[in-house]
Amino acid sequence: MLKSLVYMYRLRFAQTIIYMLQATEYDVKTYLGWLWRVKDFEKVSYRRSLIKTRRSSMLLLAIKLGMLVQFVVAIAWATLAIKNKEPNGIFAVDLFLSTPLVWSHLVVLPLVLARWFWVQPLNRVDVGRSKKSFEKHQAIKIAVAGSYGKTTMKEILYTVLSSDSKKVAATPANKNVAISHAQFAKQLEGDEDILIIEFGEGAPGDVAAFCRTVKPSIGIICGLAPAHLDKYKTLQAAGEDIFSLADYLGHKNIYVNGESEALKSFLKPGHQLYDGRQAAGWAIKAAKSSINGLSFEMTKAGKSLKIKSQLIGEHQIGPLALAAALADKLGLTKEQIEKGISRVESFEHRMQPRQVDGAYIIDDTYNGNIDGMLAGLKLLKSLPAKRKIYVTPGLVDQGSESPAIHQRLGKAIAGSDADLIVLMKHSVTDDIVAGIKQGKFKGELKIEKDPLNFYTNLDQFVAAGDLVLMQNDWPDNYN
Amino acid sequence: MKTIAVIFGGRSTEHDVSIITAIASVIKPLELTKQYKVEAVYIAKDGSWYWDDKLKDIKLYQSGEIDDFMRRAPKVHLLFDNGLTLVKSSQFAGRKMYRKIDIVFPAMHGTHGEDGELMGLLEMANVPYVGCNFRVSAVAMDKVLAKKICASSDILSTPWTWFYSSQLSQPKQAMTKIADLKYPLFVKPAHLGSSIGISRVQTEAELMNALEVAAHYDDKIIVEQEVPNVIEVTLPIIGNEELIPALLERPMTKPEDFFDFDTKYMQGGKKGKGSGKAGAQGYSEIPAKLPKELYDKAEKTASAVYRALGCSGIARVDLLIDSKTGEVYFNEVNPLPGGLYAHNWRKAGISNVDLVTKLIGLAEQKWQAKQKLTTSFSTSYLKQF
Repeated sequence: MLKSLVYMYRLRFAQTIIYMLQATEYDVKTYLGWLWRVKDFEKVSYRRSLIKTRRSSMLLLAIKLGMLVQFVVAIAWATLAIKNKEPNGIFAVDLFLSTPLVWSHLVVLPLVLARWFWVQPLNRVDVGRSKKSFEKHQAIKIAVAGSYGKTTMKEILYTVLSSDSKKVAATPANKNVAISHAQFAKQLEGDEDILIIEFGEGAPGDVAAFCRTVKPSIGIICGLAPAHLDKYKTLQAAGEDIFSLADYLGHKNIYVNGESEALKSFLKPGHQLYDGRQAAGWAIKAAKSSINGLSFEMTKAGKSLKIKSQLIGEHQIGPLALAAALADKLGLTKEQIEKGISRVESFEHRMQPRQVDGAYIIDDTYNGNIDGMLAGLKLLKSLPAKRKIYVTPGLVDQGSESPAIHQRLGKAIAGSDADLIVLMKHSVTDDIVAGIKQGKFKGELKIEKDPLNFYTNLDQFVAAGDLVLMQNDWPDNYN
Repeated sequence: MKTIAVIFGGRSTEHDVSIITAIASVIKPLELTKQYKVEAVYIAKDGSWYWDDKLKDIKLYQSGEIDDFMRRAPKVHLLFDNGLTLVKSSQFAGRKMYRKIDIVFPAMHGTHGEDGELMGLLEMANVPYVGCNFRVSAVAMDKVLAKKICASSDILSTPWTWFYSSQLSQPKQAMTKIADLKYPLFVKPAHLGSSIGISRVQTEAELMNALEVAAHYDDKIIVEQEVPNVIEVTLPIIGNEELIPALLERPMTKPEDFFDFDTKYMQGGKKGKGSGKAGAQGYSEIPAKLPKELYDKAEKTASAVYRALGCSGIARVDLLIDSKTGEVYFNEVNPLPGGLYAHNWRKAGISNVDLVTKLIGLAEQKWQAKQKLTTSFSTSYLKQF
């Protein structure tokens, strides 16, 4: 406590504050929540550090200047008070001591003002323009929504559909909010055949608003899991928002992940499922999964496709099959589809396998939902290995369901045939351990208090024949 | 939590290799286990002992700051008080700092460390330590003695001879011994590792120079006949009674580019050019691609050598194979392989952390077995006087 207090008067404190803002994507509410929660400012910048951008540099300069001015005023006040023997000299002490506290709060003011008077009005203009741009664009527009799996689905679609005969454009990375769509619209050339737009829900009404702007003709709903519950409050509310995409499309041309349990209660006639056995009317058979990838066959009304992909995990069969089915629907040839699927490479930090001295490490550290975690554990169980190691800190943002979700996760971990479980010590660790105990795990369980040290030195812990699955990461702002 | 002292450095030509072994292959994985308190004990080139956490940082040695450190740091004393205790001045009011050591992990190569001298000290202190005991270390580090013991266990070596460096003052005597061997020959200092002072000679004209080079490093010289159609392989092994072999490793150098120190540690195992960082391991075949029968024969020979010499904990056995005849020859034993040959163990399925943990376990097992032996005997001998 004392160490943290002293740190607040060090020069690095200003940088820590700006790092916190940057890590929370300049979201004032999240930043303030973190600021008031911090017990040791010295440990705030643990996993990452401040990245210099124009915005962060300006804010850093502003906070440093502000703090300097307050210090100078405090010293001047104290000097005058001592000189004139005035009793209000104590105010100088207050002024001095309150500097870090004042400026760690005042720093949000330019952000709030800029958001109200500059960013939001400009965004409204851009979004309005993009609405017209999307309206005019003749391309087939595919919207990809859901609490998880969107970016993977979008990337698969983009790779498979991009061919000699189709020009395809997709929203970049995980840019999936209204302003990202507007920026995407600005970059379009107008002659694209297919547009793939990721819908990232954040608050009730978001998906419906995206639909009104983008006007999609095909919708894909990838999954539903607790996320952004601070805004949605319940999973039901999040599901309703996501399914406003289906409502917009009149429940036609809507494809729903059949492997997401939470989506099932929202299904309506007309919705088409995709999973490990079927995708948009295609039957899937002869599925094979290994550390090197997936293969399966798809058949529908005399047509057949032989799919081979570098992606790993049976849960990828559904998205791959749906991409193949949509490609067929949009007129791609069998050869184009099969070649397109084979081009899909694993995505960074999403079930991404790599080899270290003969050990396989599956990096799934961007997996942040229970369904994804369970899919990964299923993969761990199915793959052969001399020794299986499972590493996770647990999940963030799970709301009031967090204990139940983590106990469920713990049980699944216990049943994954892992020989060694390494849990990164966080607030949810006890719940995971309770689940592991319920699952009667018989292997070795380690609680790691220094996750960064463990990840950095992973090569020291593994050897040939080991299979390591690392799921999810725990950002600094959740500490 | 048990305290482990990792001792490294030393008065040896392999001083620098020892620092890397200690910091990268021993201290780091030991600390990652979080089961042990690890104390770094550095023996400088002048033989002074230092003990400090700062000694765990490779930058201290790379930057040359080690000299400054040694000027200021207090030297370490050893206390044999029912075990081993490190003692140094705390630099406050004449107080001394004591650290009782539960297990020692020697990470020294070459003379005054790997050759049994350090192990003898640890035996006196009756503290468990990793690796071969002092007798085995002394024999293993003497290529002449090791070959003689292996010969008595019917383990083949290529034709060889030896003599003391002092005998070079009468070269005729040495040359007569060598005359029975066929060229090319290898001339080696009998006690050094890491290929230091080794020469390959193809003609008699080159021989004297090679002998002088070897004599510069050692008082005992061994001259060996080269194995024709040679495949050089090495096998790290751990264990006391039950042996666990790693994978047979084949350094990928041509016979004419046999390992010298520079090739082995400075050029990533690749002769001539490059600036490899991984040492010999950067350029070797693991497992060696040999016919199964030959692979098994080599593994069996290496295990036989390990047992014949009485190795325990860890050792690496080097073999030479005549690829045409399929004959396997014993070359030498390294009781503390550089970097523990961790790169090979990882490929064999044993991680760095598991390797050091197993070695600590073996050290404790060996020590406990030794405690059961009777070391005193009551007599009335003194009463006679």
